[in-house]
Amino acid sequence: MTTAAPTLTSRKTTRPAPWGRWALKSAAFSYLAVLLVIPLIVIFRDGLSEGVGGLWQAISLPIAWSALKLTLWTSAVMAVINAVMGTMTAYVLVRYTFPGKSVLNAVVDLPLAIPTLVTGVMLVLLYGPQSLIGGWFQDQFGWGIIFARPGIVLALLFINYPFVVRAVQPVLENFERDAEEAAATLGAGSLTIFWRVTLPALWLPIASGALLSFARAIGEFGSIVIVSGNLPLRTQTAAVYLLGEVESANRQGASAMSIVMLSLAFGLVLFVDWLRQRGQQEPAP
Amino acid sequence: MSALPPDSAKARGASARPGRISGPLDIWRRRLMVGIVILYAAVLIVAPIVGLLAGALADGVGAIVSALSQPDVLAAFKLTVYIALVTVAIHGVFGTILAWVLVRYRFRGRWLVNGLIDLPFAVSPVVVGYMLLLLFGRSGMLAPLLDVFHIKVAFAVPGMILATLFVTLPFLPREVIPVLSAFGLEQEQAAATLGASGWQTFWRVTFPALRWGFIYGIILVFARALGEFGAVLVIGGGIQGRTETVTLFIFRALDERQYVGAYSSALALGLLSLLLVVGTDLLRKRVKRE
Amino acid sequence: MNTKHLRTLTIVLALSLLASCAPRAATPTAEPNGASSPANLILGAYTTPREAYGELIPLFAAQWKDKAGQEVTFEESYLGSGAQSRAIVEGFEADVAALSLDGDIRKIADAGLITHDWHTPPYNGMVSTSIVSFAVRKGNPENIHDWADLAKPGLKILTPDPKTSGGAQWNILALYGAALRGQVEGIPAGDEAAAIEFLKSVLTNVIALDKGARESITNFETGNGDVAITYENEILVGQEAGQDYELIIPKSTILIENPVAVVDEYVDQHGTREVAEAFVRFLFSKEAQEIFAKHGLRSLDAEVVEATRAQYPPVTDLFTIGDQFGGWAEAGPKFFGDTGIYSRAITQVQAP
Repeated sequence: MTTAAPTLTSRKTTRPAPWGRWALKSAAFSYLAVLLVIPLIVIFRDGLSEGVGGLWQAISLPIAWSALKLTLWTSAVMAVINAVMGTMTAYVLVRYTFPGKSVLNAVVDLPLAIPTLVTGVMLVLLYGPQSLIGGWFQDQFGWGIIFARPGIVLALLFINYPFVVRAVQPVLENFERDAEEAAATLGAGSLTIFWRVTLPALWLPIASGALLSFARAIGEFGSIVIVSGNLPLRTQTAAVYLLGEVESANRQGASAMSIVMLSLAFGLVLFVDWLRQRGQQEPAP
Repeated sequence: MSALPPDSAKARGASARPGRISGPLDIWRRRLMVGIVILYAAVLIVAPIVGLLAGALADGVGAIVSALSQPDVLAAFKLTVYIALVTVAIHGVFGTILAWVLVRYRFRGRWLVNGLIDLPFAVSPVVVGYMLLLLFGRSGMLAPLLDVFHIKVAFAVPGMILATLFVTLPFLPREVIPVLSAFGLEQEQAAATLGASGWQTFWRVTFPALRWGFIYGIILVFARALGEFGAVLVIGGGIQGRTETVTLFIFRALDERQYVGAYSSALALGLLSLLLVVGTDLLRKRVKRE
Repeated sequence: MNTKHLRTLTIVLALSLLASCAPRAATPTAEPNGASSPANLILGAYTTPREAYGELIPLFAAQWKDKAGQEVTFEESYLGSGAQSRAIVEGFEADVAALSLDGDIRKIADAGLITHDWHTPPYNGMVSTSIVSFAVRKGNPENIHDWADLAKPGLKILTPDPKTSGGAQWNILALYGAALRGQVEGIPAGDEAAAIEFLKSVLTNVIALDKGARESITNFETGNGDVAITYENEILVGQEAGQDYELIIPKSTILIENPVAVVDEYVDQHGTREVAEAFVRFLFSKEAQEIFAKHGLRSLDAEVVEATRAQYPPVTDLFTIGDQFGGWAEAGPKFFGDTGIYSRAITQVQAP
């Protein structure tokens, strides 16, 4: 296979020659710098150009603040529901057999493949006031789904469905069931077993999956802009508020909101990374 | 360390272990749980997709075909695929290099680089577009430089490519890094003792082992690039015939009351991404079985 | 060369092939337009006159081909007027800007991109007009006939977001102006405080603020809201497209004047000045004015106005932004600035 005759002088290392290593490292870091670091620096500089005070002033405007609160609230609600339903879904996929199981497995991945704009379009089609379902809800209960907060949570739930499921599934699969069986022989009921034995081992993947979906939800745009109605102080999320600021050339407002969203995103991502690392270090139960 | 659902294929391939024999209460509990989950998935995920299908088919399949053959739509698809391909090419090369550097080399601040790689996953697309506008807009930081070279980034395709590069950055490293970490150094060292150069070692020994992680990562990059909306809207402007991707076309079509056109394009886009992701996955499972 | 190398090579070749036939819009040339080389004109417009320009553009292209022997292709972008104005300032190289309100053209001029005075004859730089009116559901179930009806508690109103939409700004000014002029039941003329209260009571009923006038009316079409405040133009175009909502014109409303201007900086860069100016002149022609009238816009050409009187009934109390508010230079900041009347009102109203 090799063209050179095998030599007896072995290389000390498999790594490329030092200049090669330098080249690779600089390639990798320039790539990150150009695509990520420089844009981030630019926006932090811009938003902080009036100092932290200026940033606070822009972000504490009622409309901006409210957009942030709404975003955090809807994302949190979604994360909690997602944690519960995601865990249930993972449990059902790992522990049970039933007709349509492989379909369910595939369905879990669907949201990853669907552009978020399309998600928004679908939800309006299905739950908008002119649709069967939406209209019925409106008439019967006076609830709006679309152009109201439930619509936001619905869109976020759709988009983030895979994240808790796929975080919990592998852990559940590798889960040693001895402890569960031991508990069973000691007379514990199924529910107790789940609550006291299984669930504690799952809290890490559940938490990291839920937090990840929370982080993604904060920045969600494509579906929400279609589905939410964009009412300041009522149904306007941070990302949509940001678009309004960008489109009306309000740089201070735009940069301030961007910085807050970026900081949240980065903080959450780092935390999730740390959680996952812990998960890999913990011995399997 | 992955911010993505870890190795979905593996997770998906697991089969249920038979549960222990349980009493009637357990059976009902089980049925209830399965029922709830299926209902949830059906209502949350399947129903809207069916709704989209119905909306697109409202005027029959012929209408879908003619809607999709409109010059605007074709141009949008062409642009979208072009941007996605360029993105794939760049990430394919640099993403792999990044993964290599992260796994094989030591350096301080590894946790930071790790976090940076995952960051685009959680950043709002509008923020991405805005950052690029701050850099490349007419009053942006790099504007004078661009003027000198007569390069257009904002409201042009290069800007959209940059935006797409940003949002798709994590996908390739996240698929390649686990495989690379697991791939021992022994084979690489063996190749080295046989006189292979660094590049030869990588290409002939390491890369084949990474192959599926790489391919899956590339497909994910492509699928995500196809669906990008917020960032390209802000930096590209959705100029018909120049910077209009399929997602931007759908957005416009809704405005123009071209509902069948919008729904058909949405369906086409969704199907394309779906086929890519699911197809690669099936392929990978089949290869693993051989 | 083994199969792996071959594969790499094929991929690289394929990619470069694709790269070379990448979709490139006709790149604007910097040379002065000869009669032979094709020209590419970029139009940045607001959302509403889409259909009108859809007809105007091919017509102009045909005429220009005859007159000057040059092929001209168009690239169009339709956004909320404010958003479009901002995009042009940020680097969207539109050759011609056709926006909803003069203030948005002024923003482009302030950025140094327009260096001539566009308020020229025949119509002072305006290319079309419309009026603020209401779209209501078929049969007018909520009985909306004038501004005062909009304050009915529980009514669901759609109007776009003034931050990005020119139409939205016209809406607010129309409401306020009508109130100040004593044309709204229960509001004494000249009473600013009462007018502000009235504005707030209407804003309370707003259920969604869309990005542009077009988005707002299509939102209305999906079944949201009982009434949409918008350009008469939007409503007519929608009806033309088969929608069954009804047009209600209030007794008193503002004249929406839409300007158009050549963007000096970009036409000089692209070398498209001649075509661009010809296009703008074309828009003032009787032929173009008739087409505007066909697509729901009120024309400025006296003859066309006469001919379309039936379709465009005169308004009982029509006022302009110049008369009532001293023009956009004054009205813009007064209403939509950070501490503007609207900005404060919407915050006070929407507090959950």
